[in-house]
Amino acid sequence: MELETDVVSHASGSARLRLANTDILVGVKTEIDVPKPENPAQGKIEFFVDCSANATPEFEGRGGEQLANSISNLMQRAYYSSQAFNLKQLCILEGKQCWKLYVDILILESGGNLCDAVSVAVKAALFNTRIPFVKVALMDGGNIDLQLSDDPYDCKLLDIGSAPLLVTLCKIGDKCVVDPTAEEESCSIVSLIVGITDNPKFYQTEKENEQSFDGSAKCSTIDINGPGSVHPKTLNNAINQGMEAAKALDEALGRTLLRERKENQGFKKQSYGFLK
Amino acid sequence: MPLDYKRFNPPEDCVSYKRFTKDSLKSPEQLENEILIKEELRKDGRALSETRPIFVSTEAVSQAKGSAYVELGSTKVICSVYDPREIPHQNEFSQLGHLFCEVKFAPFSCPRQRRSHAPDAEERTLSAALKQALEPVVCRNMFPNYQVDIFVYIIENNGSCFAAAINAAGLALVDAAVPMYDIVTASSMAVVGDNYFLDPTEEEEFVALNNTGDINHGVITMATMDVLQQITNFTQIGSMDVTSVNLAMVKLEQECANLVPVIQQCIVKKTVEGLKIKKKLEDAAKEREKTLDDKIDIWKKKLQAG
Repeated sequence: MELETDVVSHASGSARLRLANTDILVGVKTEIDVPKPENPAQGKIEFFVDCSANATPEFEGRGGEQLANSISNLMQRAYYSSQAFNLKQLCILEGKQCWKLYVDILILESGGNLCDAVSVAVKAALFNTRIPFVKVALMDGGNIDLQLSDDPYDCKLLDIGSAPLLVTLCKIGDKCVVDPTAEEESCSIVSLIVGITDNPKFYQTEKENEQSFDGSAKCSTIDINGPGSVHPKTLNNAINQGMEAAKALDEALGRTLLRERKENQGFKKQSYGFLK
Repeated sequence: MPLDYKRFNPPEDCVSYKRFTKDSLKSPEQLENEILIKEELRKDGRALSETRPIFVSTEAVSQAKGSAYVELGSTKVICSVYDPREIPHQNEFSQLGHLFCEVKFAPFSCPRQRRSHAPDAEERTLSAALKQALEPVVCRNMFPNYQVDIFVYIIENNGSCFAAAINAAGLALVDAAVPMYDIVTASSMAVVGDNYFLDPTEEEEFVALNNTGDINHGVITMATMDVLQQITNFTQIGSMDVTSVNLAMVKLEQECANLVPVIQQCIVKKTVEGLKIKKKLEDAAKEREKTLDDKIDIWKKKLQAG
């Protein structure tokens, strides 16, 4: 798996992931918006998936629309819980202003296991997202006047330690396969998708770790995909299997992202090029 | 948001007056305390693992091939299934038949907002999930290159509307005499901490979904085929650990099994009635034939008599 963050200069945060033949590019754009009246203290996050026809000819025209919809729905659901992603950190002024994150997911090449790859790339892009600090907020009657910091380095980072990772388990025969290739996917009649939020510790340096508590792994979304059905026992086993896989993946991702951030801070990062 | 231009729309920044009523100004924590009157007893007087009374009937829509109407407490769902027709806009031959599912909320169905006429994200998700729940149940090899249309209309949503939709769609498919492997039933559950609300109301679902604390919370909907012991759809949203997912699953499985006799009874009633009608029609046809035969005999005799 190849992962590179901060690849698009016009986005607040971005990441590119290559998992075997699957290629995903994620860009995060930020905008100021008015919070929903029901949740005045929360920001917003929205996912858009674009299956470009470059990936496979099947996506041409409206072909990829259904797949794109299902992936963005799945992501939206996985990020729904406040334990998965706390929208309160996107609040600027309660009831008046908040940040809205647009997560745009571009599928450049499709070679199986799209959901997992998308979730990893999104998490990396959010980890990389910088939100400028608000310097001054003036209340003038009912209107609010915000002044944002001009300095690109004067920004805050998001707390995404518990953001969920999706794990697809393809049922082939009696067993469930993690990280299926396109061939394996076409062999299986039903697949399970489990969204797991794991220990936020993986994404913090040791110093921060001392203050935060240990989180345990929780499911944030479960879904069955494909025209088949499963036995309850299989589902049970698959959830457990997905959990283990997610844990290993989350730990590795956290380590990599922290290392990259460190390299970035020391200006030591070597750019490996965008599309090699 | 796309606007409905057929009606006069309020200014864009309008909010429903309901948000300023006493009930909706309550914080999630307050609501959480309120949904349980005392331990193990809910607001509407049910125990935690007690479902609302269910009502099912067939033949709700006379124009459709098959239809069903399901009530779960005050949740009301109507479903109609139409005859197979050739799959539109498709060039390739498909070995398996298609199911086209559409879930629609009535504009006045939800207590918190007015639903727009254009299909929104939730409706699209539910449509896809309904298709997932029904596909394994239908013998799709019996009608290759054809599609069956299934339309679900949610008239009133007071929680568990998706479970009601699956139950209605399953029954409507039976009513339409679409070949199926088993009866499909569904049930849902809201989890707040250690409390498992079976067949939740809208308020309980709302509390379970919008919990901001550090406890297990979420809503699970599961559809099963009871005889074949298969789960056809499992949708979870929220955040909960594996043990509570498993616990909820066991309870839901039990509840789905409990629903099967209700559906069966409805089908048997419908079939018996159908047989009765068939017999009546046959009798009437025989009688008609007999009178005709008699008349012919009379004419023949008259002719022979010259």
